[in-house]
Formats: sequence, structure tokens, C-alpha cells
Amino acid sequence: MKPALGPKEWRSLFTPEGKFYDGGVKLLKRVRNGGVEPSIRAEVWPFLLGVYSLNSSEAEREAIKAHNRKGYLLLRKHCLRKNNKESVDDHITSEEENPCVILEQEMQDKTGKAIPENQADESLCSSSSRDEDESEKSDVTDVEASRDDVASVDQSSVEDEEESMPLPKYSNTGGNIETETKLSKIARPVKSARTVEDFETWQRIIRLDAVRANNEWVSYSPSQAAVTREKAIESASAVCLKDYEHLEAHRIHHASRLVAILEAYATYDPEIGYCQGMSDLLAPLLAVLEEDDEAFWCFAGFMRKARHNFRLDEVGIRRQLNMVSKIIKTKDFHLYRHLEMLEAADCFFVYRMVVVMFRRELTFEQTLSLWEAMWAHQAARRAGITRSSWRKLQLGAPPTDDLLLYAIAASVLEKRKLIIESYSSMDEIIRDCNSMAGQLDIWKLLDDAHDLVVTVQDRIE
Amino acid sequence: MAHRVDNEYDYLFKIVLIGDSGVGKSNILSRFTRNEFCLESKSTIGVEFATRTLQVEGKTIKAQIWDTAGQERYRAITSAYYRGAVGALLVYDITKKLSFENINRWLSELRNHADSNIVIMMVGNKSDLNHLRSVQEEEGQALAEKEGLSFLETSALEALNVEKAFQTILSDIHQIISKKALAAQEAAGSGPPTQGTTINVADSSGNMKKGCCST
Repeated sequence: MKPALGPKEWRSLFTPEGKFYDGGVKLLKRVRNGGVEPSIRAEVWPFLLGVYSLNSSEAEREAIKAHNRKGYLLLRKHCLRKNNKESVDDHITSEEENPCVILEQEMQDKTGKAIPENQADESLCSSSSRDEDESEKSDVTDVEASRDDVASVDQSSVEDEEESMPLPKYSNTGGNIETETKLSKIARPVKSARTVEDFETWQRIIRLDAVRANNEWVSYSPSQAAVTREKAIESASAVCLKDYEHLEAHRIHHASRLVAILEAYATYDPEIGYCQGMSDLLAPLLAVLEEDDEAFWCFAGFMRKARHNFRLDEVGIRRQLNMVSKIIKTKDFHLYRHLEMLEAADCFFVYRMVVVMFRRELTFEQTLSLWEAMWAHQAARRAGITRSSWRKLQLGAPPTDDLLLYAIAASVLEKRKLIIESYSSMDEIIRDCNSMAGQLDIWKLLDDAHDLVVTVQDRIE
Repeated sequence: MAHRVDNEYDYLFKIVLIGDSGVGKSNILSRFTRNEFCLESKSTIGVEFATRTLQVEGKTIKAQIWDTAGQERYRAITSAYYRGAVGALLVYDITKKLSFENINRWLSELRNHADSNIVIMMVGNKSDLNHLRSVQEEEGQALAEKEGLSFLETSALEALNVEKAFQTILSDIHQIISKKALAAQEAAGSGPPTQGTTINVADSSGNMKKGCCST
């Protein structure tokens, strides 16, 4: 293991205008091989996750940051309106008691110029199959009316067209759509009458997962760990979080941040919405990034690739399991045959590792190191850093979008002897994989994964 | 390949734990197999399982319990694991009406994907939260009767009725299998008793205890 990228070296990578001297190649190389020191993670991650381009200047980044912040606030506002609507529907909260109505108003005050929402609504409705706006019109109540007033005030106060901004939406640029379309044909047609989940369902499950999030992140973020109860309760009411009475202040605060960002994401990417496991991916980001808007956009960057795991049609997860299977088959046919015999060649036993990216198997710190290496690879691919320029830096393994899958395959290959000699059913492999926690050496695993990339990538991808 | 070893257990029964997210499936499992409870247990991704061997009606039964993710999204992968299950604990949360209302959806899920002879038990969990109750015990009982299921309220937190729930479902399964075996024996005239079709689980799932042959 190489030493992690530290603050001094990090600053030395930039020109006076705040651009990378070398387009970020050295950054990615360093992160790939040694990770990032905790003190600069919050600065480095937005580059790894594609929030900022590797070619951007400091001034450009400032502009993006401001724009992103505005976009995030819009998403949050949209979520709050949905919360209000639900409160009305449930007849639980009356107008004067509803903290979210008050909060929405406060938020507008704070941001100064409010953002017109009708435009945002239109853009949501066009891509959403839900007909909530229809139903919203049909049950106009006092709260509805008061909210409409607020909205109309917004509109009149923002006559200036330039201030308007559409609700941010996930859009797919690039990616592996083609592969996935091909794959969907072989995926078994079991969709049957499964119902589509709605936003309300997501909100419920998000809160459920948020209040049971653990606190292993605490030592990585002393400031968030020291949050006062008052502040924590404030952040909880900002997202209409209840059922937290049993939690300590820092966990209430953490849960509230999870809710805020996951809800915003479900609005941003309604095709995926919320799927259990996504909170596992977000929680470490929250520990490092203390501002919600920054955390959101980093998470959105992370999800560009990860979202495929959570698709309703399961095409993404099947592609990945298929690839782990192919890596094992190519590298170790004997082991593969044994897996076939146990009816485990589909590699469903690594399902959880793929979906939450080793989060359940690794410690907090190990997870961050693995993810940083993975993000560095993906950033190199995005930036078009070629195999040859990567080689010039004496990095054996070329950049890959799928480092995680190589790492998972490596962790299975490491157990080949045990699997071949002792396991006689898939159940035993599942149990083994589900109890790997704490047993993995992350840097050895990364070395093995890189070796696998070198030896089998040409035959896999 | 693997054969049943009589001195380890007489039968291996595969049971699935299903129900909405957050009703306490994983904690029922950990209470039963490890006598543990964790308030902050994470959501189950896909499926996980644990086993416990116990005595039921004088037989040694190895219960292999598969815990599944509750979210709709994971239904396709979790339902694949219904195959070979001889029992299902269908869990709802007595403080969450919706999880009770969804029982019917879960039942049709089982009818579509599980063996038609699967023994189903309905479980209303979190009975320790009586002050927050939104489903009355009688409602649960009535639905269970209507659907022909056995029923219990449990508290994984207080270790209340969890053991009893598993004992009940395992002995129900055992009785059905014994009857089948007997019927098969009668049909075949004399000869050694054969195992009923339902317990092919016991044949295919292997018998090797973890560790007994390794290293």
C-alpha cells in the first residue's frame, strides 16, 4: 500500500488558476493506489465523482457549485410540497401544526429570491407516470389554498426570467445502455403484476432506513457528532422525520440528512426512486461532506453508475452478476465448474456485495478506500484517459468501470480451496459471503483486483 | 452427492421469512437462531439465512431460515428463494396498519412462487409496542382463520412467542410430512418408509455441517 494523497501534495497539483497541471492524471493515479487522507476528502471527492470536471478552473467550479446549490434547494422544495400534500391527505396534521409548511416559507425567506415552481412541476410530470397533480386539484383544502397563495407570491416576485431554473433531472449520457438492452432479452420475464412503487412508499422506507442507520461514521466527523439536540430536532422537523425519540442527537441529525438527500434523489431520478441499500451508499458520503447540497451532488455522481443496481427490471444487477461469473470462469475454470455443480454459477451469492458495494463486508475506513479506488478508475474512464497514458505511469491495470466486480471476483477466488473442497451447496457459499465482514484485507483485495483486470479484462469487457 | 446423516438431524426444513420492510423479520431470525436483538439492524439486501437445530415432537429438526428483503423492488430475487421452502412466516408489524393490509399481497406472492403445499404462519410482531398498536389481535386472528393460517403475536425485542412461533410451524410441517410418509408407505404396501415429496429439501440441501470437513 502506498501512502494516501495528503494536503500538501494535493495543493501542488494545481496551477494558480486552480486547474490541474496534468488534467488530473496524477491525482487519479495517487488515489487509485493509496486513497485520500481524511482531511482533504471533502475537496477531492467532487472531482472523483464527476461533480467537477478534471479540466475545470476554480472560477468554473464556483459557478457550478452555486448552480448546484440552487438545484438542490429546488429539489428539496419539491419534496416539502409532497410532504405537505401527504399531511393533508392523512388528515394528521393541521395547517398550523405542520412544520413543513412553515419551513417551506422560511426556506424561501432564507434563499431570498424564491424559485418558480410551476416550471418544476411541469418537468416532473412529463417524465412521471403518476397522476398526483390530478388528485391534488380534486381535494383542495385550506392548506392547499394557503400553499397556492405562497406559490403565486413566488411567481410574482420572480418576474425575472433569468432567475428561473428547471427542476434538476437525472439524464443518461453515455453508459452501457446497449449492453443492457441486449441483456434484458435474456433476463427472465417474471415482472408479472408487480406494482410500481410510488413516492409515498419511498418516503416511508427512506425514513425507516434513516432512523436505523448506525453511527460508525462518528469518529470521522467530530463536528456532526457534536451537534446539539436542538439543532438535530430542527433538522428532523425540516424533513418531517418522526419516530426518532430513542436516538441520540447526532443520529437524529444524520437520519435527517439521509432523508433530505434520499428524497431529493428520488425526485431527481424517479425511474430509480429509492431502493433499500441506497442509504448504505449515502451514509459514508454524509460523514465526509457536511453540506447537504454538496453531499447530494456527490451522491448523484456516485449513483450514475450505481443506479443500475437498483433498477426495477433488475437488468443492471444481472449484468454485473453475469460479469463476476465471467471473470471467475475466465480466470479459474475449475472453480467455475464446481460452482456450476452447486448451481451457483450465476453468482447470486455475491448479490449483496454488488448492490451495496462491499459496504456490509468492510469497515467504514476500508469502504472509503475501496470506493476511492473505484471512483478513480471511473473518473479516468470519463476523462478518456487511455490505456497507454495510464501505462506510462507504470500502472499495470488499465482503467475500468467495473473495478468493484473484479474485487468481488477476487474475494471469491481467494476462497477457491474452501469452496471446492468443503462446500457442497450454494447455501454454504451464501453464508460465507454474508459473513465476510471484518475478514478482508482491502489493499490486498485491490492488488488482486488489479491483477485480474490485467489478466482477464481483454476477454471480459 | 450429499446424504442425510441421521445422527445430525432427522429433517431439514427450509422456512422463508417474508413481509413488508421494517416489520422485524431479521430480528425474529436473530432472536430465534442466536438469541440476539438489534434495534439498528440494517435492511436486508436480497436474502440472508441462518439455521438452528431443535427438537420437535421427538425428532431432530434442522431449520434453515431464509430472511428476505421486504421492499417490492427485491421481490424478484427473493421470490426465487421460495423454491423448496416448506414453511413461511408471514410477518406484519402490529403498529403499522399498512403492513397488515399488505398481507394479502404477500399471500398471493407465495401462491405464485412457492410450493402449493407450503405451510404458512401469520405473525404480528412488535407486541411490546402495545401502546402504539394499530392492528388488534382479533383482526389478525380473524384474517388468519379466513385464510386458513396459524397465527401468533410475537415480540422479537422481548423474546415473546418467537420460539413458540417456530415450534408451531415446524411441528405443523412435521405432522404433514409424517402423514404423507405414512400414506406413501401404505400405498406401497410393505417396505421401508419413504420420505414424502415435500421434504426433498432435506435431500438436496446437503448435510455437511460447516467445519466438519473443512481445512
